[in-house]
Amino acid sequence: MKNKIFRKALATTLSLTMAGVMLAGCGNTSEPAAATDSSGAQTEETVSQESTETAASTQAAGEQVTIQVPVWDAASNAHIAPLVEAFEAAHPDIKVELIDTASADYTQKLTVMLNGGNDLDVVWIKDGDTTPSIAARGQLEDLTPYIERDGIDLSTYSGVAETMNLNGQQVALPTATDYYILFYNKDIFDEANVEYPSNDMTWAEFEELAGQVTLGEGSEKKYGALFHTWQACVQNWGVQDGVHTILDTDYSFFKPYYEMALRMQEAGTCMDYATLKTGNISYGSVFGQGQVAMMPMGTWYMSTLIGMINNGESTVNWGIATIPHADDLEAGYTVGSTTPIGISANSQNKDAAWEFVKFVSGEEGAQIYASVGKTHALQGEDMINTIASAEGMPEGVAEALQTKNIALDRPYDEKSAEVNQMLGEEHSLIMIGELSIDDGLAEMAERSKEIQGQ
Amino acid sequence: MKQRNIGYKIVMYVLLIVLTVITLMPLLWMLSASIKADSEVFSLNFSWLPEVPRWDNYSRIWSKIPLLTFTFNSVKLTVIITFIQVVTSSFAAYGFSKCRFRGRDVLFLFYVATIAIPWQVYMLPQYSMMNKMSLVDSHLGYVLMQSFTAFGVFLMRQFFMSLPNELLEAGRIDGLSEYGNYFRIALPLSKPSVATLTIFSFVTIWNDYMGPNIYFNSTENKTIQLGIKMFISQYSTEYGLVMAASVLSLIPVLIIFLSGQKFFVQGVASSGIKG
Amino acid sequence: MILPSLCMKGEIHLEARTSKKRMSLNARNTLVGLSFILPNFIGFFIFVLIPVVFSLALSMAEWDGYNPMKFVGLDNFAAIFKDRVFRGSIWKTAYFSIFTVLFSMCASLGLAVLLNQKMKGKGFFRCAIFFPYVASNVAVAVVWNFLFMDIGPINNMLRSIGIENPPGWTASSDWVIPALIIVNVWKNMGYFMIVYLAALQDIPESLYEAAKIDGANSLQRFKSITIPMLTPSTFFVVMMLTINSFKVFDLVYLMTQGGPGNASTMMSQYIYNQAFISWSYGRSSAAAMILFLIVAALTALQFRLEKKWVSYM
Repeated sequence: MKNKIFRKALATTLSLTMAGVMLAGCGNTSEPAAATDSSGAQTEETVSQESTETAASTQAAGEQVTIQVPVWDAASNAHIAPLVEAFEAAHPDIKVELIDTASADYTQKLTVMLNGGNDLDVVWIKDGDTTPSIAARGQLEDLTPYIERDGIDLSTYSGVAETMNLNGQQVALPTATDYYILFYNKDIFDEANVEYPSNDMTWAEFEELAGQVTLGEGSEKKYGALFHTWQACVQNWGVQDGVHTILDTDYSFFKPYYEMALRMQEAGTCMDYATLKTGNISYGSVFGQGQVAMMPMGTWYMSTLIGMINNGESTVNWGIATIPHADDLEAGYTVGSTTPIGISANSQNKDAAWEFVKFVSGEEGAQIYASVGKTHALQGEDMINTIASAEGMPEGVAEALQTKNIALDRPYDEKSAEVNQMLGEEHSLIMIGELSIDDGLAEMAERSKEIQGQ
Repeated sequence: MKQRNIGYKIVMYVLLIVLTVITLMPLLWMLSASIKADSEVFSLNFSWLPEVPRWDNYSRIWSKIPLLTFTFNSVKLTVIITFIQVVTSSFAAYGFSKCRFRGRDVLFLFYVATIAIPWQVYMLPQYSMMNKMSLVDSHLGYVLMQSFTAFGVFLMRQFFMSLPNELLEAGRIDGLSEYGNYFRIALPLSKPSVATLTIFSFVTIWNDYMGPNIYFNSTENKTIQLGIKMFISQYSTEYGLVMAASVLSLIPVLIIFLSGQKFFVQGVASSGIKG
Repeated sequence: MILPSLCMKGEIHLEARTSKKRMSLNARNTLVGLSFILPNFIGFFIFVLIPVVFSLALSMAEWDGYNPMKFVGLDNFAAIFKDRVFRGSIWKTAYFSIFTVLFSMCASLGLAVLLNQKMKGKGFFRCAIFFPYVASNVAVAVVWNFLFMDIGPINNMLRSIGIENPPGWTASSDWVIPALIIVNVWKNMGYFMIVYLAALQDIPESLYEAAKIDGANSLQRFKSITIPMLTPSTFFVVMMLTINSFKVFDLVYLMTQGGPGNASTMMSQYIYNQAFISWSYGRSSAAAMILFLIVAALTALQFRLEKKWVSYM
């Protein structure tokens, strides 16, 4: 009797599955497939034709267009409100509707919206390395015809825009660009009577310096350095040269930095990984409370820190220096990431969306970023000066922010996220001492090959 | 005999008090964090009391985000969904336990087995479907999506299964239809189980984060859990505010629990029907 | 009375009627039964079952989530079984589930019985023990991570009672799952205590009175009345605990993200990673299919055993 029930259950499952598949068949129209399949030239032609037509009709009617723009952390990202305001002032016929999501879940929500066929207009990509996956699904409009039409000079992005050119299609343009710099606590250096970190320092010098500014014992102890728990805070120094990337399958270039981190952890000159990780200790609070002398961190932390000081949560006397570098590198080589923005292939208002993309990625947008202390891919001297003159910035910011080369922390590749996840797993094992550096690096290499199908 | 009783009581109370202290730890932590400065919450020098208590965290959360709208939305959605869930689940459970028909057990197996599928797996197809029905970014869509769970049916079925059939038989002899039996006999007796399900649904929907996160785009549709997340951003978090909002969001759930509590005290046992 | 009895006993009886009438009555019964189920079933079918079945069908396809999918047969299954992270996740999930189910059940039953007697402060204790179930996962994860720290209260206490090398808990591959089991039991025992409490109300006082007269002591009464009378709830509790611990996600994700390494990467975490980090819906669905099959097998097994040990009145 039971058997019969199970056989029936099986039969029902099968028929339901069939129904599901059929539903899926109807669900996924062949439209996007056609778009990706057709040759590039043809698509471009249609796009520009279409766009000029829409532009003409929009202008003729003088209609108000509303574009949907997904963003993350709208409330705490100081640049978003002024950007929208300035954009709407410049384009009275376009209204911007923000779809705000918490940063931690933004990528997931964006993916679900795009895959689910939602007709949002602008695609703002939080994790740059997901760009190829989104582009490969045919969800990003090729911007080339628009760029040609409006005569945008991509060379002003000093190489960043090219990373978003995939298979001959410019799928996005860069906006915010953050990179690693060295934050330091002037009071601790004064107390130890040591000179402030210079803008040209090797990692070996950094390690030695950390020893000199480690002061006190117990709960009053001031640590020389803090490497936050992200694997980036150790591994990045291996890819700083812009030659090696996390997609390599031999990770021996991480070795000196793991040795450094573990050596410092052992000597007590940097904070213990396990404590930071299990205690969820925030780097911001440790640095803000003056418990650490030096911290390699992204440029985004500048505006956070100023905010903390403004509302009285921190009294830290801080400064920044250029990130330390390997012996065989020049100062100014750093690691960072940029935030791409593009147009959804599904958008009904591509022209209006393009205006927004152009605005945010262009000169006007960059100025607004700089005015709130954020770094943008368009990095002229005056941009850095605007940042340095923002309220609450210490002296010497303009010099410390100079860069020669910003290597991408995660290359734009479909396998990047997966490899990164794996590197994070192995990183934690090395840092808590369950895996030796050599074994850890060997395992990374092996798993990386597996993931990348080599 | 009497001494043994006292000894037992002491052991019991000590055990309960230890357990209570451990279970209340997160609440105490939340309370303490809710009056701290953000940078004090996750710092190396942990202390239960802040240096300077920041009571204004509780007022700041109302001005920083539209918390009133969010609370209203949460209450509205939770009440509606809980109501639909309890009514349809108990109705269906009666069918699954007290009516006999072909295919009943197979159908029930389907119900229960779907509980095992993590939502992340079918989230995408579900969203596609809802998007085509234009139900995204609307309360109606979310209500439809969350109201029909297998869990409630399963819970209520287990209760009805233990309901003596003689009672229903008596109802039938008295000329009650199956519907009459359900409304007059089964439903009134299932109060403790209904209370259990109500609490479960209420807590689940009230604390649901991923669902509203995926489905709601506009601010006027958002719920309190999304509001709490607004204090957490990519590189920095206003932990004091997060915890203040979390503490406030606990209150409705505790009210529901306390009012549901009495059903566990006065169950059917007191009415003596089953004896 | 306590003897296992079949559920059909009191269901609509047709024996007395003629066989001719039985046919139409059978149809009528089906209609009545379906009418009870339908309001829930329609919603369930459209909004849950269709997407679920569709997702499971994806396990045989290669799909990026947007473009037309490609049928690939069992390739996805081959791929995930080759992945040692997935193979590991099955054992970790099983390990986690067995102990979570066992401990949660004992804890919630014990607490329910304890808090069902006449005592002072009953309401307060119930509320306190229920509290973790309500508390936000974010706060819970943070507090327990803090408690589990090497310099945290738990290890300090262990050191003070003479354990020199206390476990590393969430910072150790060997102890991370026991740590998660503790947190999970602690978090969910309150709810299942409520389920048991509700069921305890249904046990007629007269049964206990009768047993007392027969001279049964409290342990005997517990064994021969309480336990058998609670079997339907126990069945529910065991089923729900099994299912829930097999698909545990939120708490683990918040506490350890599956780490250190992938020491606490369980099946649902793997499913999530495949879908939202590797963007491979096919492999994600294949892993979900395996999870589904395991749970479905356990469910079917328990339903089969249900008639053996669950006594409905």
